[in-house]
Amino acid sequence: MLWQATLETLTMVGISTAVAALCGLPLGICLTITDKHHILEQPYLNKLLGSIVNIGRSVPFIILMVAIIPFTRRIAGTSIGTTAAIVPLTVAAIPFVARLVETAMKEIDPGVIEAAESMGASPPEIISKILIPEALPSLILALTLTAVNLIGYSAMAGAIGGGGLGDLAIRFGYQRFRADIMLQTVIILVVLVQGIQMLGDKIAQRLYNR
Amino acid sequence: MIRFKGVEKTFGGTPPVHALKGIDLEIPAGKIFGIIGQSGAGKSTLLRCINMLERPSGGEVWVDDLLMNDLTPSQLRQERKKMGMIFQHFNLLNSRTVFGNVAFPLEIIKTGKYKIRERVLSLLDLVGLADKIHAYPSQLSGGQKQRVGIARALATKPRLLLCDEATSALDPETTKSVLQLLQKINQTLNLTIVLITHEMPVIQEICDYVAVLEDGALQEVGPVIDVFTRPRTPSTQRMLQGFFAPRIPSQLRNSKNTLLRLTFVDQKAHEPIISKMIRHYDIDANILFGRIDQMKTTPFGLLLMELSGSQPQIEKSINFLKENLVEVEVLS
Repeated sequence: MLWQATLETLTMVGISTAVAALCGLPLGICLTITDKHHILEQPYLNKLLGSIVNIGRSVPFIILMVAIIPFTRRIAGTSIGTTAAIVPLTVAAIPFVARLVETAMKEIDPGVIEAAESMGASPPEIISKILIPEALPSLILALTLTAVNLIGYSAMAGAIGGGGLGDLAIRFGYQRFRADIMLQTVIILVVLVQGIQMLGDKIAQRLYNR
Repeated sequence: MIRFKGVEKTFGGTPPVHALKGIDLEIPAGKIFGIIGQSGAGKSTLLRCINMLERPSGGEVWVDDLLMNDLTPSQLRQERKKMGMIFQHFNLLNSRTVFGNVAFPLEIIKTGKYKIRERVLSLLDLVGLADKIHAYPSQLSGGQKQRVGIARALATKPRLLLCDEATSALDPETTKSVLQLLQKINQTLNLTIVLITHEMPVIQEICDYVAVLEDGALQEVGPVIDVFTRPRTPSTQRMLQGFFAPRIPSQLRNSKNTLLRLTFVDQKAHEPIISKMIRHYDIDANILFGRIDQMKTTPFGLLLMELSGSQPQIEKSINFLKENLVEVEVLS
């Protein structure tokens, strides 16, 4: 039972982190390069994207989850279960990732981007050869933070029958007074978070050190 | 090679900043051209107008008969590939090794892998960093980073090198070696170099021509030796004041005497003009300060001297000096 729940949590967090990264990275890049004094300055587009991201980030997850049930049903074919939980988790994580990507890329010295422009690099070249590689350590840490956050959110997914460790802890540990199961799930969650954070730190550190 | 015609630049804001005021300037090919001015004078903006990193608000910038203002973005990228640029803070990619940094502009012009390797190795040889090929920028000293910057700027065999305060973040010793490297590549590659700086010694050391910029306006342009020994505008004179002659302590000055500043250029620096003058006229000369130096390759001498004697004799002496092609400036 515990093993099954752990697998469900890992599935939810893994897939939603991956999809959120895939969608959040381009969105974060757009937020970065359309900003003032950047390579493709577009003030209105930047404001629009920024507002969408802010709205996405300000809706509490539990409400978001319920609010997008029709959308979830369309994507996952159902609105309950692990597969269905992945949809709101991903939707919640995309704006979060986008902001983290933006922050990471804004840390790059503008002089480096100017140097690339002075060599005749085009915007796609600047993105692929400067922005992403230079921000890579920070991007890895951003992904780590996202995964850790999603572990927390995935517990709430239990509310729509999402399964996973959080669900187990509530249904067995809390509602049936099984303190032993509660303790075990909490220990597994702590180990998961520690493991993900350590892995992320290690990769980022290796990239920083060069 | 490069021509500025009435170039203006205004930065929006409250109040707007008028960074460049009607700049007219010609920069000849194959020379080292220095632009000097205080910080905030507009040097950096002027330099960036050459490759349009900064777009002028008015006027024209011509590079080799090409009007840079009118290029489309893709044409502009093509032209930038023919120019190199180095920066005060080097602006290297931290995620790439020395090799990767120098290879970067070659990737942009789509050079083959094998060719890139060959070119990078020869460039690192040129700048004396062949042994650092696999190092990351964080493992290099300032001088080494700037050498990587120079190698990177030269990778695409540009005809023009723009230097943005390239030595301002370096110590005097390293500055000297980087300047020597710039001079070497100017001569061996026949490369036009435009550099901006606020340091007089940089101009003195390697520049052929100098332009003095103050408050966004061009004060003076000409061969370095002319501008430095015969500054015409007050702002140039002010800039040169501390550089050439020391302040004379007032106790040492005799107010009855005439204080002269003499400048000897080239061969004149060798002739015994002063002793001739003293023998010819009935005057005494008291030398307060003397210096022999060189501007790039031209020797020049500088003398601060007090003359005492009758007024007519002093005037005759001054004329004698002028006839002997010495620059004379009566300071008091």
